Amino acid sequence: MIHYENVHKAFDLPVLSGVTMSVHEGEMFALFGPSGTGKSVLLKSTIGLIRPDRGHVRVAGESVFQGGKDTLERIRRKAGYVFQHSALFDSLNVHDNVLMGLPEDELRGERGVRASRRVWDALELVNLEPTQVLGKLPAELSGGMKKRVGIARAIVGHPQILLWDEPTTGLDPVNTAAVERLIMRLSRELETTSLLVTHDVEGGLEMCDRVAMLDGGLVRFCGSPEEFRESPDPVVQAFVDRAAAEAALDLAGDPSGLA
Amino acid sequence: MNGAVARPVTGFLGGFGRVGRLVVEHAGAMGQLLWSAALATVRMKVSFREVVTQMYVMGIQSLPIVLVTASLAGIVTSQQGGYQFQGNLPLYVLGSLVVQTMVLEMGPVLTAVVLVGRVGARITAELGTMVVSEQIDAYHSCGRDPVAILVAPRVIAGTLAMPLLVAIADVVGILVGMFAAKLTTGLGYEAFLYGARLFWHSWDLLYSLTKAFAFGFAIPLISTHMGLRTGGGAAGVGSQTTAAVMFMTLTILVLDAMMPPLMLQ
Repeated sequence: MIHYENVHKAFDLPVLSGVTMSVHEGEMFALFGPSGTGKSVLLKSTIGLIRPDRGHVRVAGESVFQGGKDTLERIRRKAGYVFQHSALFDSLNVHDNVLMGLPEDELRGERGVRASRRVWDALELVNLEPTQVLGKLPAELSGGMKKRVGIARAIVGHPQILLWDEPTTGLDPVNTAAVERLIMRLSRELETTSLLVTHDVEGGLEMCDRVAMLDGGLVRFCGSPEEFRESPDPVVQAFVDRAAAEAALDLAGDPSGLA
Repeated sequence: MNGAVARPVTGFLGGFGRVGRLVVEHAGAMGQLLWSAALATVRMKVSFREVVTQMYVMGIQSLPIVLVTASLAGIVTSQQGGYQFQGNLPLYVLGSLVVQTMVLEMGPVLTAVVLVGRVGARITAELGTMVVSEQIDAYHSCGRDPVAILVAPRVIAGTLAMPLLVAIADVVGILVGMFAAKLTTGLGYEAFLYGARLFWHSWDLLYSLTKAFAFGFAIPLISTHMGLRTGGGAAGVGSQTTAAVMFMTLTILVLDAMMPPLMLQ
């Protein structure tokens, strides 16, 4: 479904140095790695938000960067993108924010009436009460609600692919667990292919069918969660141990004691 | 010794080259942005409601500060002219001085400078914040064109609102200048208007509005261009806004200097 081939990208320093990997149709795939290893860069390249210096990105058999504007538009229609900090439009209320997730041609005439119904449905799918949030501006929402609205915007167009860029960043353990349950439920109910970039290694290992780890601009590991846990690679092991220690620290520091 | 002399020279030439490259780079990027905005407009992708909203923000909301600035410019021109002319020239020439100064220079340039601070800086900061908070990426991910949504309406609104603002600024500056002349030099209204008509050319009004049109086009184009090139978080938004204000002010002064040889020969 998504195929990266020898992807290179450098800003001031090289970030991706020849990443090759595939995400299969219908699977839930997690991408791990230390900060600054290009996980989000790779995710953004999937829908053409960042152009690699070299290499190819293909989605459903179509080249993201060599197919022209129409192809890119088609690929973007197939994908829903959940941003790290929600990236809701400040000046639009929740209804209009979610409406943005639908193609423009579905907002005109009679289809426009159905579009509002779809916004309503999407908000219910992410466990938000539409009557309470539809008219609110993003500034009036809590962090967890913003995340859910961002997810609603990504799923309202019934995408085949969901791209999650650290969806639990900045959330407390209670909201993190709730959003992770939501990710699993949505991926199953909507039958999408999901690519999840996350720092929450334990959560990612529990949720996903396959995982990969980026390190030094390359794919260090790609396989099942079980293989990842038992990998003899010392770099992978060190990463797993560090993640486990951080998770334990998070649990200990959770004042609610609910996590 | 030679090396010591050569270093400042090569340093100067290097700096000159960097500035030149930066100017060419910005000009190219703005050309592309303008082309995209024009295409979006021609393809009817620009929201009429957004254009009206932006005209309200740039025009109506800027009116109070534009009126204050124009009034003060009229007062200062009238007082200083009166001071210089007393005993040297017939005082009715003051009417011509105030009208010509307001219409040819003060009205368009001061209004533009006010709009740089009030509107241009705001646009750069707003779009810059949208870049660093990934809202621009979100537009792309939703299959929307941020140029059609954010750039084109602002450029259209600026180009339409600015001539109206300048026309109002010209009239208010002249009227206030006329009152100030009466109060400070005792010059009667009829004498003031006689002097104003004496050197008046209708072309001057067209010149004033052409300047306004150019400034009204440049301010939103530069501010959106700079906003969309923001990077580096909150500090990036701050430094980019400062750079945009400098860029817009310089552009206005350069355009202002280019206008007389083009239109007043």
